Amino acid sequence: MRFNEKELVSLSRQPSEMAAELGMKGPKKGDVVKKRLVKLVVNFLFYFRTDEEEPIGALLLEQCRVEREDSQTFSIAFLDEAERKYLFECDSEEQCGEWVDSIIKASYEFMRKNLIFYRTEIHRLTGKDPLEQYGISDETRFQVSNGLQLMPRDTSSL
Amino acid sequence: MKLNERSVAHYATCDSPPDKTGFLFKKGERNTAYHRRWFVLKGNMLFYFEERDSREPIGVIVLEGCTVELCESAEEFAFAIKFDCAKARVYKMAAENQAAMESWVKALSRASFDYMRLVVKELERQLEEIQEAAGGSFVGAGVGGPQARPKSSRRNHVARSRSGASSSSSSSSSMSSSSSSAPPMSGPLSGQRSFQDEVQLISGCSKENGVAWSKPPAALANGFVEGASSCVAWEGCADSGADGVRAPPVPPRRRGASLESPVSPGTGCFSKLHDWYGREVEELRVQWLQSQ
Repeated sequence: MRFNEKELVSLSRQPSEMAAELGMKGPKKGDVVKKRLVKLVVNFLFYFRTDEEEPIGALLLEQCRVEREDSQTFSIAFLDEAERKYLFECDSEEQCGEWVDSIIKASYEFMRKNLIFYRTEIHRLTGKDPLEQYGISDETRFQVSNGLQLMPRDTSSL
Repeated sequence: MKLNERSVAHYATCDSPPDKTGFLFKKGERNTAYHRRWFVLKGNMLFYFEERDSREPIGVIVLEGCTVELCESAEEFAFAIKFDCAKARVYKMAAENQAAMESWVKALSRASFDYMRLVVKELERQLEEIQEAAGGSFVGAGVGGPQARPKSSRRNHVARSRSGASSSSSSSSSMSSSSSSAPPMSGPLSGQRSFQDEVQLISGCSKENGVAWSKPPAALANGFVEGASSCVAWEGCADSGADGVRAPPVPPRRRGASLESPVSPGTGCFSKLHDWYGREVEELRVQWLQSQ
């Protein structure tokens, strides 16, 4: 699948929400933990060899599950291949918690749900649609029905 | 650079609702003919498929940081997706009619994560103000995480949102052309500092090279704590573990982005930001019409 790599690399240089050196292990058997600079920018997680300017890779953080594996380790797995986990080792329990928290919130779909919640709540309390004054009430991405079609996944099969 | 392509492709075809779909003509890179492709916009990702029923996308354009412009072209209803980085490719596209073109330009201009975050922050701020005005106490049944308030609010507000929408249609006819660069929020703004901070991140591509280290944010600035982020958290699906009385937390802010913008100094609030979007579009539209 083609993608605009140059622009994605450029995105990796933008200021990030979080960046830290973590131990990272890929999802394949035989992958070992390697020290990587991990950087969260919008809904992408970039990972670099320390001191290199261009990232080795990027993970789009949509349709994924972030899980705490132990006190200092968290994992990211994508819903289409949930048994393949990327592991990240942090320096402290606190840091691990911060990363888990940030990555959960780093998805567009997560934000959309927040927005829909705020929109309906403000409407409920005031009778007014807060998006109306900005002329964006009609946009698909802000529709109440849009973010609510997702059903909770049955996790027992994973 | 590697990308989790399989999962990205899965995002394209999974059952999360797309923001826009339709046929567009896309100019090839080497073969400069326009090819008709099926496009699916989800969030800040624009996927394209060979056919409408293709199972996998041919490719994806990550839209973060792009601007969308009408363009001069022999092709009718043409527009371009441009990026502000060195040697960036310009994606030339053409729609099948005027209405489709306007609709796509609008949708693509507002597709960025940054834009969505801006809107969320603004609504969060408004909700806080309303709640403070109401005495600062949460009416128990009235506040909850998005997933904790299912059907009742949904039913009421679908109806009301629509009626609200119809009366705003006149103001929404302007097309926005930029999904990234935004006016700076300069100068002190009392009571709006959090929004001001937030808009820093919208101020376009910083030319910063290399890697920026930033300290992890402390506890969420807005004071709302997500109660259900204990061990397992699902993205992209309802968080059934959320307890019913907390508002959802806000995504982390970006730090370090410059406050400077070359274009619209002195704008200090969300409605002005929106005016700015609208004004830029109007100017482009006038130019385009004059060139016809």
